[in-house]
Amino acid sequence: MLSAITDWGWSEMLWTALISICLVFIVLVLLVLIMQGFGVVFSHRPSKTPVTEKQPLLHEEEIAAIATALKMFRSELHDRESEVLTIMSIKRSYSPWNSKIHGLTQMPDRK
Amino acid sequence: MWSFLNTGSSFVWDSLRDFAGSTGIAGLFASMGWGNVAMICVAFLLLYLAIKHKFEPLLLLTIAFGMLLTNLPDANLYHTELFEGGHVHWDIFVANAGLLDYLYLGVKLGIYPCLIFVGVGAMTDFGPLIANPKSFLLGAAAQIGIFVTFLGAFALGFTPDQAGSIGIIGGADGPTAIYLTSMLSPELLGPIAVAAYSYMALVPVIQPPIMRALTTKKERAIKMQTLRPVSKLERIIFPIAIAVIIALLLPSATPLVGCLMLGNLMKECGVVDRLSKTVQNELMNIVVIFLGLTVGATATAEAFLNFRTLGILVLGVIAFGLGTAGGVLLAKFMNLFVKEGNKINPLIGSAGVSAVPMAARVSQIEGQKENPSNFLLMHAMGPNVAGVVGSAVAAGILLSFLG
Repeated sequence: MLSAITDWGWSEMLWTALISICLVFIVLVLLVLIMQGFGVVFSHRPSKTPVTEKQPLLHEEEIAAIATALKMFRSELHDRESEVLTIMSIKRSYSPWNSKIHGLTQMPDRK
Repeated sequence: MWSFLNTGSSFVWDSLRDFAGSTGIAGLFASMGWGNVAMICVAFLLLYLAIKHKFEPLLLLTIAFGMLLTNLPDANLYHTELFEGGHVHWDIFVANAGLLDYLYLGVKLGIYPCLIFVGVGAMTDFGPLIANPKSFLLGAAAQIGIFVTFLGAFALGFTPDQAGSIGIIGGADGPTAIYLTSMLSPELLGPIAVAAYSYMALVPVIQPPIMRALTTKKERAIKMQTLRPVSKLERIIFPIAIAVIIALLLPSATPLVGCLMLGNLMKECGVVDRLSKTVQNELMNIVVIFLGLTVGATATAEAFLNFRTLGILVLGVIAFGLGTAGGVLLAKFMNLFVKEGNKINPLIGSAGVSAVPMAARVSQIEGQKENPSNFLLMHAMGPNVAGVVGSAVAAGILLSFLG
């Protein structure tokens, strides 16, 4: 039977701390083992995706040749524009030079 | 006519005097002591830190505002006497309770921390932990700070249940700290919540010196092997398995771990996207507002302004430091038993103190200082999320011993 918590001394405190940290480790080690078990099961499951054959390792010179060819191919590429020009909108800001009222002859107002 | 004016003037005068007496300004002079003024200043300081320096603003801002409201005179929003002795006084509750008293029931009954854990679970990727389960060990080692501080707090004169609540600051997990404190020693809720969230915001300041002191340049530059891919099925089974195992082993930790795993299952199963988004955003945000306000409201002058608070702040930073050191040292120890190619970078051990994802980011930054081509973030996320589970387990153990 545990004594009331308010009466605890150093002995109870030390034991509680020690048991608690051990329990934390035990619980988490158990989780490690279970998760590793899961890992083993899942890593041995046959994959549904088609298995691709392993390619043999390329020689350094072959890698250099492929890289050079890619570089040359890409350096010859140019930006290609669509070649279609469409005027989307015209912004006509006001100016006395394009104003109709200033462009027409003002007729005298006869009454 | 004269008597009418005479009676009227005395009526107006009395009315104005009564009104003036009912204002907060009168209360400021009548009922408020220097303690309330000091607490209002602390609230202003925390608001400044949250807004200007962005120290955990989501929680610190609401905590500071709750602190401000509870210390203003005659606001009657929160009453400590309704929760005296560690339990709710239902007989006088409805007649006297203010708005924050009602909202505080969510903290007192342990509802808010669990709801936050649902959201945290929905936002957490346990993939790195599933790919490298040994990370659980680093998460366990980082909990050492909790138990050393538990003893330290007892040495400073705190009761065992108060010592447990103070020690949990070392778990660097706000909801867990609030959950355990509300169960064991609610009178310390304000200082413990402020300490926990302040130190979590200070992770980039507290951890790096400890990490550098305990590791060599060579260790910090260790490159770790790429993690294996994790299948969807594993991601779905993980939260279910953890919830069942923890519930069987440690029922007292089930509310926290169960809610964490529920949120994660919602995210990983992919069939309840609406629920997953809700718990990550709307629910989480609403609960954060309620939790922050009410935890701040518990920080009354009598509860906050004493030497105990100073002790809690000092012990909290010690707990944090010891947790960081525990994780780093265990990673170094594990390296003694593994082959050269499989070595663990000890910097990821410090991420075991929760504080997701800040602690993992600190590991990444420190690793890149030694070797800019080293990417430790995903490796550090393993111990980081293991720390969340570890601190919830530690809280459950303390609750079963002390509750």
